[in-house]
Amino acid sequence: MEAKTDVDLDQIQIEYLGRNGYLTQEIKNISRLHKDDRKGAGIIINEAKKIVLDMIVARKNQLKDSSKEWFDKTIPGIKPSVGHLHLVTQAIAEIADVFEKIGFVRVRYPEVEWDYFAFGALNFPEVHPARDDWETFFVDVNPDKKYGPMVLTPHTSSGQVREMKRVGKPPIRMVNIAKCYRRQSDISHTQMFHQFEGLVIDENISVVNLKGTLDYFARNFFGDTRKTRLRPYNFRFTEPSFEVDITCDICNGVGCRLCKAGWLELGGAGMVHPNVLKAGGIDNKKYSGFAFGWGVERAIMMKSGINIPDLRLLYSPDLRFLIQF
Amino acid sequence: MDIKISHNWLKDFLKTSAKPEKIAECLALSGPSVERVHKINDDYVYDIEITTNRVDTASIIGIAREASAILPQYGIKANFKFEILNFKPNPKSQKLNKLFIKTNSRLNKRVMAVVIEIPKVEKSPTWMKDRLEASGVRSLNNVIDITNYVMLEIGHPTHVFDFDKIVTRKLIFRLSRHGEELTTFDNKTYKLFGNDIVIEDGNGEIIDLPGIMGTKNSVVGPETKKIIFFIDNNDPILMRKTSLNLGIRTLAVQLNEKGVDPELVASAFARGVELYQNLCRGKIVSKIYDIYHNKPKIKIIHVSLDFINSRIGVDIPAIKVKDILTALEFKVSLIRNTFSLTVPSFRLNDIDIPEDIVEEIARIYGYHNLPSKLMKGALPEKLTDSPFQFEQKIKNYLSGWGGIEVYNYSLVSKDMAGNGALKLKNPLGSDSEYLRTSLKPSLIAAAKQNSGQKDAFHLFEMANIYLSLDSARDKLPEEKMVLAGIFANQDYRLAKGILEAFFEKLHISDPKFLDNLISVDGLYYYEFEVEKLRQMHKDFVAFKPIPTYPAQIEDITFEFVGETKIGQVLQSIEQVPWVNQVELVDIFKNAYTFRIWYQHPKKTLTDKDVEKIREKIILTVKKKFGGLVNN
Repeated sequence: MEAKTDVDLDQIQIEYLGRNGYLTQEIKNISRLHKDDRKGAGIIINEAKKIVLDMIVARKNQLKDSSKEWFDKTIPGIKPSVGHLHLVTQAIAEIADVFEKIGFVRVRYPEVEWDYFAFGALNFPEVHPARDDWETFFVDVNPDKKYGPMVLTPHTSSGQVREMKRVGKPPIRMVNIAKCYRRQSDISHTQMFHQFEGLVIDENISVVNLKGTLDYFARNFFGDTRKTRLRPYNFRFTEPSFEVDITCDICNGVGCRLCKAGWLELGGAGMVHPNVLKAGGIDNKKYSGFAFGWGVERAIMMKSGINIPDLRLLYSPDLRFLIQF
Repeated sequence: MDIKISHNWLKDFLKTSAKPEKIAECLALSGPSVERVHKINDDYVYDIEITTNRVDTASIIGIAREASAILPQYGIKANFKFEILNFKPNPKSQKLNKLFIKTNSRLNKRVMAVVIEIPKVEKSPTWMKDRLEASGVRSLNNVIDITNYVMLEIGHPTHVFDFDKIVTRKLIFRLSRHGEELTTFDNKTYKLFGNDIVIEDGNGEIIDLPGIMGTKNSVVGPETKKIIFFIDNNDPILMRKTSLNLGIRTLAVQLNEKGVDPELVASAFARGVELYQNLCRGKIVSKIYDIYHNKPKIKIIHVSLDFINSRIGVDIPAIKVKDILTALEFKVSLIRNTFSLTVPSFRLNDIDIPEDIVEEIARIYGYHNLPSKLMKGALPEKLTDSPFQFEQKIKNYLSGWGGIEVYNYSLVSKDMAGNGALKLKNPLGSDSEYLRTSLKPSLIAAAKQNSGQKDAFHLFEMANIYLSLDSARDKLPEEKMVLAGIFANQDYRLAKGILEAFFEKLHISDPKFLDNLISVDGLYYYEFEVEKLRQMHKDFVAFKPIPTYPAQIEDITFEFVGETKIGQVLQSIEQVPWVNQVELVDIFKNAYTFRIWYQHPKKTLTDKDVEKIREKIILTVKKKFGGLVNN
């Protein structure tokens, strides 16, 4: 059969099998045959009809296949292996990005640090709970004459005085993101964790600017609808000191089981203590500043709504955990 | 520290019509951190976190005073009413029962004591029990309950001894010796570390662990007839040290270690005596002892209105500043826009500098009343040689090819630390005692921990290792950022291919880097110093003109006998003139098929030219490696 289209085939069907078609006519003609021949002719004609019909159907299918191949959209694809950046890496990249857009310079300072930068220069008294070996890890070496014992830094604030010394003369807008260590390990604490520290020093820096920066970060990192508030708190290296809260994303600030009357704690902040400016060689009469230091892990949990029941999972190499993010 | 404040109790000292929820909200925004408020029977209880600098607020009167300063800023009337009681000691009692109290200014600032005769030790009245229990303190008997009641109300810990159990009548403060023992009233025996403040009876027996917990041998019981009501204001640093060493964390020591105002001793003492007289029908039967070594000096802070307003960022009028500070019990004088402020005794530990005054004004004025504005001014210079973008980029590449990033702890066990690793003095356990000098043991452990995984996987980590620079160890260690990874269940060529692609993206062509991929226990491990990669990599390479004349491409299959380094074969072929590129495309048994690009920069190569080059290749491979062309 040379027919090229369904229309051609329909035409052939009418020509042979239609009401006035060739084979239909032949059936009608049987009555004219001799009685003994009628049966044989009927069989032959019906057979011919069947052959013609089969050929038409076959050709129709053939035409269908050639115009559009049979295609199964539901068959699964062959995936390249999919990689995963760790949650902490993802969070750090985003945090750095938000602050870099408003002129902050990202830096990194020692994780193994002298007591002086971790505490002394930050206005901690010689005897302070954070400074004893219940809370901070000490490295088993002799203390330095000038800088005291060697510790694992318990906060990114140890970069404050180092940054002041590096820059020398304000303006300073620093974001320091690094590993920190504290002597506790339970479902909500890991002995190693990450913080990001903001430090701004310039002329006429006020609490109003700190609020502006925190709000900017909250909007850009957590989303347009999130709001922050400051509550009084106490840190050695800031005065005044604040605890920063952000509206709860679960209840949108109305109040629910997971938050405190609509607010979640984000972390500490404050105006840089004049003794810290002095330690950094900055004229505290001319310049003022603010600082904040928050947990990266906490920020990512609060942004994503990912509720990891045991924070120690973050530092587990279990693939079943790592490939989820 | 966390405390519980009963609303009913608070109202004894705070006159206001504000509802508990409103009080909680205002306090949290401008003062003590109220975590939540909940109803207990017909009372409400505030859960409050007390910061170390504000031990003056860790009491009913402390919170009442704060509330009276804060609530008016929210338009709510509130008055603080607290009178220091006066009591007249009975002159006849002076000689009745004498005590010998000895101490020194290194151990405490102040000690007060009196002997009181108690007709009967019995249960406390219900109202007192309810208030104690709302505050999280168990009621025992009227004599002991009063000590706790006074502490919760006034904010200074207090103590009672059974007078008759102290036979010598001596109370001698001293530092303990290492190894001395005592048994606390809850029947636990402790061995002291030494240099703990203790009270002994003059015969060497310890009769109190003052400021922390009473001992069994001097405790008040049902049989007690006379008590010594005793208040000691001890050195906060020694208090904390002993408490942590022994693991005893009573409410008393949590107050004492923060440095309680010694002026409060008198208020607490008067309140205690009053309660013993009223609730226990107690009779004073000794003189009042008051040893006051270190009466605090008056402290005056000078601060200008300009300074306050420039730090806060808005203009607050002088009269408002004055009102706020007066409500907080500062004595305020204002001369030509500069305030001279006398600090109240209960804030002496906390208020030192003008910035402290800024905090007081700002918090009571209300942080929520301040506008929010980004700073103006010049931007700082960028770091000239910042590593962060590069680090992110290489992580992105590796995860793009299926790498899974892991963060392992920097703190590891001794056998995972490597030679010369720094050790911690106070690790949490032996599995986290050292700072690692290599990522390798952590990554091998990580791969093995996932041994249940049957498919191929690639873990990678970027982290600092800590290299102690010299044997004297008087410098900080070098913190070297390292990129390391491990392939498990993976074919060697696929693992190596990822590194090849990695270096291609970084435009690092030195093949030596690939030698860093090594086989360990059936795994393939690699590591690189990130800084070295960063120095060697290029963001862009020089533009090469697109060849004008086409390449001819063909596959040639060689068979090799024995062990042949195919990498070297590829290099040799590539060195043949006009071979532009060569790749291994197939391996079947010992037959290796190479795809070869013949190309000349100045002309189109003819079949004859190609034939010559091909012959050269075949000759080279045969001569150098014994490889024969397979047809």
